[in-house]
Amino acid sequence: MSSTTAESGLARARRGVAPGGSGTAPGKRKSKLSAQATRTFFWLLLPSVILLVLIHGYPLIEAAIQATHDGNLLQTGNFVGGENFATVLSSAAFWKAAQFTLWFTIVGVFGSWLVGLGLALLLRTKIPAGNTFKVLLLLPWVVPIVVSSTAWNWLVATPDSLIPSIFRNLGLGTPLFLADPTLAAVTVMMFKVWVSFPFMMMMTSAALASVDNTVYEAASMDGASRWQQFTQITLPLIARSTYISWILMTIFCVNDFPTIYLLTGGGPVNATTSLVVLAYRTVFQDFATGPGVAIAFLMTMTLVVISVILYRQIRKSSVE
Amino acid sequence: MSAVLHAHPESGPALGIAETGKTRKVLSEAGMRGRWWRFVLILVITAIVLVPIMVTVLLAFTPGPNSTTSGLTFENISNVFSKTLAGTWLQNSLITTLATVVVSVAVAAPAGYVLSRGRSKAVSGYSLLLFVMQSLPIITSVVPLFILFAGMGLVDNLLGITIIYVGSTMTVATWMMAAYFDSIPISLEEASWIDGCSVFGSFTKVVLRNSLPGVLSTAIFAFLLAWNDYLVAIVFLRSNEIFTLPMGVQSFFQQNATDWTSVMALAVVMMLPPIIVFATLNKYFSVGGIGGSLAGR
Repeated sequence: MSSTTAESGLARARRGVAPGGSGTAPGKRKSKLSAQATRTFFWLLLPSVILLVLIHGYPLIEAAIQATHDGNLLQTGNFVGGENFATVLSSAAFWKAAQFTLWFTIVGVFGSWLVGLGLALLLRTKIPAGNTFKVLLLLPWVVPIVVSSTAWNWLVATPDSLIPSIFRNLGLGTPLFLADPTLAAVTVMMFKVWVSFPFMMMMTSAALASVDNTVYEAASMDGASRWQQFTQITLPLIARSTYISWILMTIFCVNDFPTIYLLTGGGPVNATTSLVVLAYRTVFQDFATGPGVAIAFLMTMTLVVISVILYRQIRKSSVE
Repeated sequence: MSAVLHAHPESGPALGIAETGKTRKVLSEAGMRGRWWRFVLILVITAIVLVPIMVTVLLAFTPGPNSTTSGLTFENISNVFSKTLAGTWLQNSLITTLATVVVSVAVAAPAGYVLSRGRSKAVSGYSLLLFVMQSLPIITSVVPLFILFAGMGLVDNLLGITIIYVGSTMTVATWMMAAYFDSIPISLEEASWIDGCSVFGSFTKVVLRNSLPGVLSTAIFAFLLAWNDYLVAIVFLRSNEIFTLPMGVQSFFQQNATDWTSVMALAVVMMLPPIIVFATLNKYFSVGGIGGSLAGR
């Protein structure tokens, strides 16, 4: 680099590295700089690529192999083609888990979004000690799931726990929050909303902060009601960020394991078994590696297709 | 965070020119009532939301079933450390988490720089690849990695889970770094190139030196992920003395009668580090940043 003169350094930078650089100098120098930048970029990216291949790429290929073999955790076994997939797709447990995952995701995404949006709107107004509340309300998201699921367990698990006792004392019967299949599913979803709403609150707050207040003044002069202002100004202005937060939360919900597994273990009678929990139990409790990996693989393929489509849409909307 | 507080429609001074002093006073009284009404509302909501956390803290300091003390006590916490492997678990969790944080940033920062400054087809392809990979369930990688790591002696090993944590934080961490680098004007690097600095030199000496908030928010993200993980730990960790804290807390449940005060004591130990990190560094961390990095890429 000692031979680089000041001007050529700058020119090289403009043309070779700067995004959208508009340099118009001779191509010779450009390629020289680009070559240096490309070489540096290669080395900077290399550790990341190695990790991606090791932790994501290799397992994906290996998973495809395992899903088509009848092996176990020690050996690959014999090639059985699509047999594992056929077993999985024809089992009632798989479809039940798929159904639960769907509901869990829908409630998790929109439940946490509605709560997060409501709180973000409330905290946006002037409230004494508003910032303190903001930090306190982030706690469910910051506290480890292992800790919060323990606390939820203590609160609802047995008929003598605090919350069922309160219901009983109010004459509302003794709800079995984790023993009744339907109620257990509802409890798990409520737990997920409790864990996730701070994330939505933060995303929405950040989006609301960038909305210009003069818009509202103009709208109220034109006689727009609060509700009209909300639906026709606020929501459209934060639509992009909302869309992204929905996508992220969908991924978090579909892939969620601890929230469900630590609260109910997937029970009672598989009522709260999601696809990830089912895959985990099939591999590590039933020791049916092939079918278990097949479940994970089916999820993976679905998510690859969905995320490529969503990625394109995000890119498209950010260009606009 | 404070920026959000300025952005509220109602609190600005009324703009009407014809407004008299009287109506203005009435308005502000109504405004004050609204403020206190909202204060009470948010107070009640926060109190309800925090019940599980308050219960955890309260039980952790309540004397256990065999205790002779009354009132609040540190006995449970000292017992957990003296009678169980809590100290070892805490140490294991700290080691894996800190290693994950350092290595994630060390891998993600250079990669993020390439994503931010490079504009070739390969770079944007890599960006798409990172997005797809972060959306996949870890369970898919876990089984093949378990078999691979078993052959290398990395099962039931802290190094093994650290490698997986780094791999799974790396995707989002790279994006967060790239989004931060996008906000650093390239003119700073150009100035260093004039002084004869190489691309790598300008990255470390100019860009990285000005990226403390970006590095910190990426570090917090990696910290939370590694500290809170349960799925990787439950698959890869087998022996008591290799457990991280989540496994330690869970191991208390396998005994017949759960000793709630001990569980909660350990739970408090486990939730303190993320709360401390978040309380001290929370201005650097905005989830908006994660979303923003997704939008900007």
